[in-house]
Amino acid sequence: MKDKELQEQIDSFLNETINDADSKALEKKLIDDPKARTHYLNEVTLHASLRRRFSLNAAPRILPFEKTLNPKIIYSLAASVVLFLGFLSFWLFSSPVAEVTHVVGAYRESGVAFEEGELINSGEIILSRGLLRLDFSNGARVTLEGPADLEIHDVNRIILNEGILTANIPKSAIGFTVDTEAAHVVDLGTSFGVSVRADGLTEVCVFDGEVEVSLPGELDSSNLSHLVREGEAISASVNSSVIDSVLYETSQFENAWPVNYGVLQTTGYMRFVSPGPDFHPGNYKDNEHIVVFPEKRGFLSNESMRVDMIDPGEYEKSHYEEKPTLVPHRAMTSYLLQLDAYPEGENPNRRRSVIGQITFANPIVGVITEDRLLNESEVVFGIPGVEYPSARTIEPRPEGDKREGFDKLILTADRHSLILELRENPGHLDQVRVLVEAQ
Amino acid sequence: MTAENSHSSKHEDFVALYVRHEPAVFSFVLAMIGRSADAEDITQRASMTMWRCFEKYKPGTNFKNWAFQIAKNEALNHLTKAKRDRHVFSEKLIELLAKDTLEETDKLEARRRALDMCVKKLPPEDNEIVSGCYAEGVTVRSYAKEKGGSANKFYKKLNRIRVSSNNVSSVN
Repeated sequence: MKDKELQEQIDSFLNETINDADSKALEKKLIDDPKARTHYLNEVTLHASLRRRFSLNAAPRILPFEKTLNPKIIYSLAASVVLFLGFLSFWLFSSPVAEVTHVVGAYRESGVAFEEGELINSGEIILSRGLLRLDFSNGARVTLEGPADLEIHDVNRIILNEGILTANIPKSAIGFTVDTEAAHVVDLGTSFGVSVRADGLTEVCVFDGEVEVSLPGELDSSNLSHLVREGEAISASVNSSVIDSVLYETSQFENAWPVNYGVLQTTGYMRFVSPGPDFHPGNYKDNEHIVVFPEKRGFLSNESMRVDMIDPGEYEKSHYEEKPTLVPHRAMTSYLLQLDAYPEGENPNRRRSVIGQITFANPIVGVITEDRLLNESEVVFGIPGVEYPSARTIEPRPEGDKREGFDKLILTADRHSLILELRENPGHLDQVRVLVEAQ
Repeated sequence: MTAENSHSSKHEDFVALYVRHEPAVFSFVLAMIGRSADAEDITQRASMTMWRCFEKYKPGTNFKNWAFQIAKNEALNHLTKAKRDRHVFSEKLIELLAKDTLEETDKLEARRRALDMCVKKLPPEDNEIVSGCYAEGVTVRSYAKEKGGSANKFYKKLNRIRVSSNNVSSVN
């Protein structure tokens, strides 16, 4: 903004030292010139941010309002205001327990949407529909699928009255507890799912690690407690004194589960690997689907890395030397997308064609598909201790095969989605590694 | 759902909406009023009105628009009285500022977020000056007096900090 006089007037107005003459002049400028107004509003935004950050009550203020309001008004406001102030001060002065980190069509009963970034204190959450992921201050990540009724007691304990949730609990939060009317579930370092039906029937499925399930206090006369390990599931009914082992079945968790990993949606023939032990890439031969695995999470590499794609649009093959390079200055989470076709059915050597789309909560920063780059990135982003299938480099291309690798790989303009159309001969393996900005 | 439950979930809805939009409301009020302490009072008074009238708000519609209308009316009430003491912005300018703020709301929101991040990263000396000058009950003049130095020197420093914060946030 070149107008020095305007800047000085704005500054003195915001510093509260302006005199009437300059104030009138400022007003005239703002009325006459829309650009001046835009500049002024930008300056105010800064001033307001600073004020809110450094003024003693940094959050919305609750003033003793007797100072500013007529006593008559106070009496008529009394009842609703006391409630309002009480609730507001509770909201503001208790420190938040969790933050909403991802939403997929998540709405309250009233129709008000949940939004990313909302801070959640202890209390009740009624999710009328959609998926809601909460990240607790101790590192626990819980995704809730509506319709659901969840109470947050504190950072270590939640109560699921109805609905479905999946939880990933890091070491820092071991002991995290999910209570339901029928069961008391304590995490021992793990990921698991809990579902509660309308009649109170509770199911607990352990995808990884182990949990301890016992009956709620009053019924726990025999100190009955079940250690449930990965690949196992139990169910418990309200007022029953028995915990039953049941068939391990994860389909009811397959919507909530990917959201724990930052994958909001997969469509078409793409699927996020179902929760469970041994989700290693080698175990997933599937002719119908492109399967998605999470790899290293929130990882900041020291080295720059060549990738195949950085910009939105359709992928075009290029030479190794021409490939774009990612300079690491932010943490990334890696996902491996894989089509592992195998001979089967009446026409075993028929080429398989699969199309699907995947949407991530955070933006995609790089996509890798070429063999050499896949190998290089695997060293950095692969899950340690997992043997990655190397079939991709072993099968020679038949002579005269004009196949160009992936038929289509499209990164959407908003960077959150990848559309794939893969065509593959059985016995071949196609992989795409996707690097996504970490939280 | 009992009446009690529905009342407390109304609270929750209101607070969720209000807390999310409060920074924008305060910023808007400050643009109309100019004085921080007054702007805070007015924002708070507007929030009372919003709560009292929350029945009238249709869920799913634009809360920010609705909230801004209420804030604008509170501001105009205040300015009618304040103009006896000093020059204040006319209703004509208030309407223009309201229109611009609503139109630019996304850009201003993005700027606000970038600024909040920048402000967190201020170097310690700058941080000290800013926190001193923006603390409640303090004016730049009184801070200067306390610190020993002309008020002008601090105005200049503040302006420089504001300019560089503005520049950094524009880049972001």
